[in-house]
Amino acid sequence: MNESSRLWKDMLGRTLYRVVALATLAFVLAPLVVVVWASFFSNKILSFPPQGYTIDWFIRAWQQDVFRQGFLLSLQLGVMATLWSLLLGVPAALALARYSFPGREAINAILMAPMMVPGIVAGAAVYIFFIEVEIRTEIPLVGSLPGLSIAHILIGLPWTVRLVTASMVGVDRQIEEAALSLGANPLVTFFKVTLPLVRPGIVAGAMFSFIVSFIDLEKSLFLVGPGRVTLPIAIVNYLEWNLDSTIAAVATMQILVIAAALLVSDRYFKLSRSF
Amino acid sequence: MALSHGGRSSDTARAAPLLTAAVLLVIVFLFLPLAIMFRFSLNKFVPGQFMVEALVLENYQKFISDEFYRGVLYTTIRVALVSTILSLIFGFPLAYMIARARSARTKNIMILLVVIPLLMGNAVRTAGWMVLLGDRGVVNMLLQMVSLTTEPIKILYTETAVLIGIVAVLLPYMIITLYSIIEGIDRVYEEAASSLGARPSEVMRLVIVPMAMPGVYVGSAICFILAMNAYATPVLIGGPEFHMMGPKVYEQITKVSNWPFGSALAFVLTAVTAVLTILSSITVQRRYGRM
Repeated sequence: MNESSRLWKDMLGRTLYRVVALATLAFVLAPLVVVVWASFFSNKILSFPPQGYTIDWFIRAWQQDVFRQGFLLSLQLGVMATLWSLLLGVPAALALARYSFPGREAINAILMAPMMVPGIVAGAAVYIFFIEVEIRTEIPLVGSLPGLSIAHILIGLPWTVRLVTASMVGVDRQIEEAALSLGANPLVTFFKVTLPLVRPGIVAGAMFSFIVSFIDLEKSLFLVGPGRVTLPIAIVNYLEWNLDSTIAAVATMQILVIAAALLVSDRYFKLSRSF
Repeated sequence: MALSHGGRSSDTARAAPLLTAAVLLVIVFLFLPLAIMFRFSLNKFVPGQFMVEALVLENYQKFISDEFYRGVLYTTIRVALVSTILSLIFGFPLAYMIARARSARTKNIMILLVVIPLLMGNAVRTAGWMVLLGDRGVVNMLLQMVSLTTEPIKILYTETAVLIGIVAVLLPYMIITLYSIIEGIDRVYEEAASSLGARPSEVMRLVIVPMAMPGVYVGSAICFILAMNAYATPVLIGGPEFHMMGPKVYEQITKVSNWPFGSALAFVLTAVTAVLTILSSITVQRRYGRM
């Protein structure tokens, strides 16, 4: 093989590599871009190309009970899951990062389990468990707010534990010891010294808990009930029978909520640097 | 880790109250339900009577002997395998491009562009694919514009469409895993190889790919597990005629209310996924050494 055909082949290879890489990026982004775009079409029946643009679909989506209630329910569950998984997860992360005790690895594995067990399997198990509890205690759980909340705390917890533990490992213990030796009590030390130091981890944990709760499909699927359907489940149920710009508008609303969560947390920690 | 304060016993005493609530939550609301579901998979289902207490393997036998459900499992494995391989092939070049991006800014933006679709959720992305692949969708419009076809081609509700949807779900996981490994490979290896006369394709094949094998394995395992358990994509993009295990678990437990069989399906799915993942790990480690 002569030199010029070799160079030619190398150049072709390099171009092919770039084209494949950029096409893959476009492929990953395509469904999001298209769904946002389609939510503004003025076409009566969703088709391409658009005949004009309108924001009517957003108004229509908001007027439908299932979407408005779903949106509010998912927000509520997301906030609840975030607060509870911080309340339970931050102390647990503190224990895992700070103390060395027998069974530490096993406890870490237990706390990570909700992230590892596939959603559809875990959802089925929790559903069966809730109905068994309902039969014995007559406390309604499936289709109730407490039932959904428990599942959503479980979804958020491993993210909080993982991200807060990671940020605590990097904190120098001596700073806390200095505060303690200067007379601050342990509680003051925790709130004035430890907490600010691990804030990026807490913000990251809170953001991920909120997002994974807000977008959850598989676990919620089993636990929603009449009049209490989360936004992603409402989208999936609607898509089984219809495909129009209303649903594109609902999907865009979900995208906006997540984007807002990302923007709010961006001040405290950089998403792109956490991978 | 931090052992400056006393010994192990005082550490245990301090850690215990901090951990109790979180650990109890997971045990009561995840492990206990899974144990109950496993027990129920050994019960009998009598139509009209719901579930009858028993200790039989009937449900697992029914799964193995039923041609339909065996077929569902084969489809699930096939789709999971093919989509994992496709994610690997298409994810690698982008992961490499991100890892070797010259400016930190470009790198950060590309990572965000890959991760953001993941955070937007499957429901939204599935809606996007339905708009793209439908009869009046973007893809069919483009095909008609360039006169490749006059009638819309049926893409939605085919296995190809399901593969497209699942690969799009898997790619961010694969790319991020590969990226973090490639990032750690020192550029001097590539430079040494090229200065010794290796061509770019040889540098890739003989230097980068072998060194990135741990990432290839971890990324593939994550993707395979996710694909085996897919729900929204097969239901919506595959349509009612396309069957995978995840949707069948949901159907049996909530719609048919056959808990014993639904539970058995869930455990067959989990067991098959675990066995295949572990088997492939052993094979890969035999070939490429321990990771």
